[in-house]
Amino acid sequence: MTYDCAVIGAGVMGCATALFLARGGMKVVLLDRAEICREASGVNAGTLTMQMTRAALVPYALRAHEMWMRMPEWCDGGTVLATACPGLSVAFTPQEAAMLEERAIARRAAGAPIELISGNAAQAIEPGLADGVLLAGHCPIDGFTSAYLTGRAFRPALLNAGVTLMENTAVRGIAGRFVLDTAAGPVAATRLVLAGGVWLQDMAAWLGVSLPIKVLINQLVVTERMDPVMRSVLGVASGLLSLKQYANGSVLIGGGWQGIGDRVRGGIAIRPEAFMGNIRLAAHTVPALRDARVLRAWTGLEAETADALPVIGPLLGVADAWTIGSVHSGYTSGPYMGKILAQAILGQAPEMPLFPMERLQ
Amino acid sequence: MIHDIAILGGGPAGMAAATEAARAGARTVLLEESRDPGGQVYRKPAFDGPRDADQRAGDALRAALSASGAEVITGARVWGLGGGPLVAEGFAPFVVSALGAEVTARTLILATGTHERIIPFLGWTLPGVMGLAAATILLKAQGVLPGRRVVVAGQGPLLYAVAAKIIAGGGRVVAIADAATTGEWARALPALFARPDVLARGLAWRAQIMVARVPVLMGAAVTQAVGEDRLAGVRIDGRLMEADALCIGHGLVPATEASRAYRAAHVHDPLLGGWVPVLDADRRTSVPGLYAAGDGSGLRGAAAAPASGRIAARAALRDLGFAAPASAWGAYARAARAGAAMAGLMALRPELVARIPPDTEVCACENVTRAAIEAAADAGAGTMNQLKHFTRCGMGPCQGRMCGEAASALLAARRGVPVAAVGFATGRTPLRPVPMAAILGDFDYADIPVPAPAPL
Amino acid sequence: MFLRMSLRMPGFSRPPAVSITAFGREVAAHPGESLAAVLVAAEAANFIAVCHMGVCQQCLVRVDGKLVQACLTPVVAGMVVA
Repeated sequence: MTYDCAVIGAGVMGCATALFLARGGMKVVLLDRAEICREASGVNAGTLTMQMTRAALVPYALRAHEMWMRMPEWCDGGTVLATACPGLSVAFTPQEAAMLEERAIARRAAGAPIELISGNAAQAIEPGLADGVLLAGHCPIDGFTSAYLTGRAFRPALLNAGVTLMENTAVRGIAGRFVLDTAAGPVAATRLVLAGGVWLQDMAAWLGVSLPIKVLINQLVVTERMDPVMRSVLGVASGLLSLKQYANGSVLIGGGWQGIGDRVRGGIAIRPEAFMGNIRLAAHTVPALRDARVLRAWTGLEAETADALPVIGPLLGVADAWTIGSVHSGYTSGPYMGKILAQAILGQAPEMPLFPMERLQ
Repeated sequence: MIHDIAILGGGPAGMAAATEAARAGARTVLLEESRDPGGQVYRKPAFDGPRDADQRAGDALRAALSASGAEVITGARVWGLGGGPLVAEGFAPFVVSALGAEVTARTLILATGTHERIIPFLGWTLPGVMGLAAATILLKAQGVLPGRRVVVAGQGPLLYAVAAKIIAGGGRVVAIADAATTGEWARALPALFARPDVLARGLAWRAQIMVARVPVLMGAAVTQAVGEDRLAGVRIDGRLMEADALCIGHGLVPATEASRAYRAAHVHDPLLGGWVPVLDADRRTSVPGLYAAGDGSGLRGAAAAPASGRIAARAALRDLGFAAPASAWGAYARAARAGAAMAGLMALRPELVARIPPDTEVCACENVTRAAIEAAADAGAGTMNQLKHFTRCGMGPCQGRMCGEAASALLAARRGVPVAAVGFATGRTPLRPVPMAAILGDFDYADIPVPAPAPL
Repeated sequence: MFLRMSLRMPGFSRPPAVSITAFGREVAAHPGESLAAVLVAAEAANFIAVCHMGVCQQCLVRVDGKLVQACLTPVVAGMVVA
């Protein structure tokens, strides 16, 4: 049989695209070389913050925030335990305060309802916050998910929508338009969506298209369960810290400190200096974390284009082939990006503009 | 300073490896978590007490280590592993981070020993339930009885060692429940004839147990630990016995988190205890410069561990360009034969996994039941990493060390695949939970090397 | 008869006992013992230690406010365990 569309890469964007295409009436196959949402989409910090989102993406992130919060309604009950809470981005130095102000203004212009408040006002919102905050950005629209649940959340909905899910089925190349060479034999489809995260570069190369993608190896650290020490999503002006405490008491420490790895080996290890810097920044911001035990640290791969803006739209020069990916804070905006790409592929006008790759040529 | 050879773990394999390496002139360092080298079997007691064969063997290994000139860092709680292949490009010396110590070495020998497998049963998380290896430590190193009325259950030779120690220490063993049958023991015995000392000791244990008139139930399993807040009784195949302690273990599992963290190739072999690093005859892993020895690389018992440690050390020495004697594979093979038979008796028993009740927690850290694991399998979780995501099984403080064996057996059985097919959870730093306060150190905010911010 | 028996086995040359406070009550301990062994010997209610070798993480207690694994913590006179 020939599918209407083959989606390669079962991360959050591939899953959302496949789901909305199938609901739009297409016969869809979704392939992944490993398991659903087991790379970046399953191991990221689950951040739904506006204050680390690129200003140009804020309108998308706001719509995606709404989608995450209502995920069970559109995903057949699938849940990532999305939790809404206030978000604070703080500055401890005058330089950070200046950066915070500049960034808050830009994001506010893009639609994020961020207001600048004093350190005392921030402590009123977040009693766990350290003294010494000069200025804070406060965004009432923030929150987080348990990202590891993403695959479990999407899976039943995909199957209910009639998507053929082929996990552990590596695509080795693409012949003609389009016959996928896979470990499970050829898979034919009239349309193609490349949703391969940092491996988008390799996928585009199958079709002779050059699409350079930089690989970020983001580190994350989680603590053992502890008594409540915070109730907001906390970050710092530079974006190099994200902190949240889950309902079970564990605190997730992130912010994009770089670990060790590459596109071929994946993320293979944390970088000790970066691990230390990250947890020091965390303990400085929420002093009660000094009483925590660090349980686990890991890495997840983030993709970035030359201008750090997404590639969502037609694959240049190959009819009926599309890409989706390289979205900064991609998890945050992921489901909405998948939704609008599906709209375009289905021949509808997308609710919001896509991010065509022409600009990168 | 860069050491030539670092050894992780100061049990019999690690002690012998360090001794061998230092004697050959290599700059050698041994990291051990406890206060003294020794490992679990040869653990140095907290106080002088009754001496047994294990203590004499341990003292001999400790004396040789001490005379060898190897640097020994005790109380080293290793939490971080780096270097080797875990670098941006190429290969680097291995870096082992412990609380209060960091070691850099050209080669690394893993001698990390085992931890215990406990297949869950109703009530197994009650206070008063402990592992057989735990009971051994309590009895031999601390001189403390596990309880007043003790049931000893599970599988393998530790059952009888623990029961005999309790009796010798003046305690009362209510019953021994051995999951193996008399026939299984009979089949394992010939291998023990190669080790008359081990055989004699086993027979002495049996004699003590018989004299104390302790009922020994063969082919028997604990079905329930009974009690409200703590253990009050143990049900063995339906029969209730009053007890305030249950020492139970279903075999030993090689501790492979370090070789997993270094991304060495592993293979699943139930007769070696489960997942073990793939090794050549000289105990080289698939990662250059990384070796593994002792029970942590596959169960062959404490008696065989020193020989395997020496083989690893000699391989490391040769690989580094030192002169080293030919490896004594024969000595190892002889010592390992008895250990192999015991490892067979300690292998995972699928029938115990099959009878885990649906509502019983398998992952005690995250409260994940058998039913939840099977529901996740039905919902598409195919591997241990994926099971972790679907259920949080293995995400808690023990990092899956206690539940991993039962959980992977359940997942595999539900999916109808071999245990090897569901894999294992990726090895992660820190190897053990580490107190933030212990690693943060003093710092100024201004000195935190915050990288450049992401673009706006 | 069993009720009066100590769980500490005879034949060990322990230094003289010191006192610690565990879960609100005074408990005897011999320097050199692990805190987990002391708590087992004291039959402390609700104290769990499955492995006594630092793996299971079930014996986590607070000593003088700090989280520690009882099995890896040498007992020290006067420590307060919660």
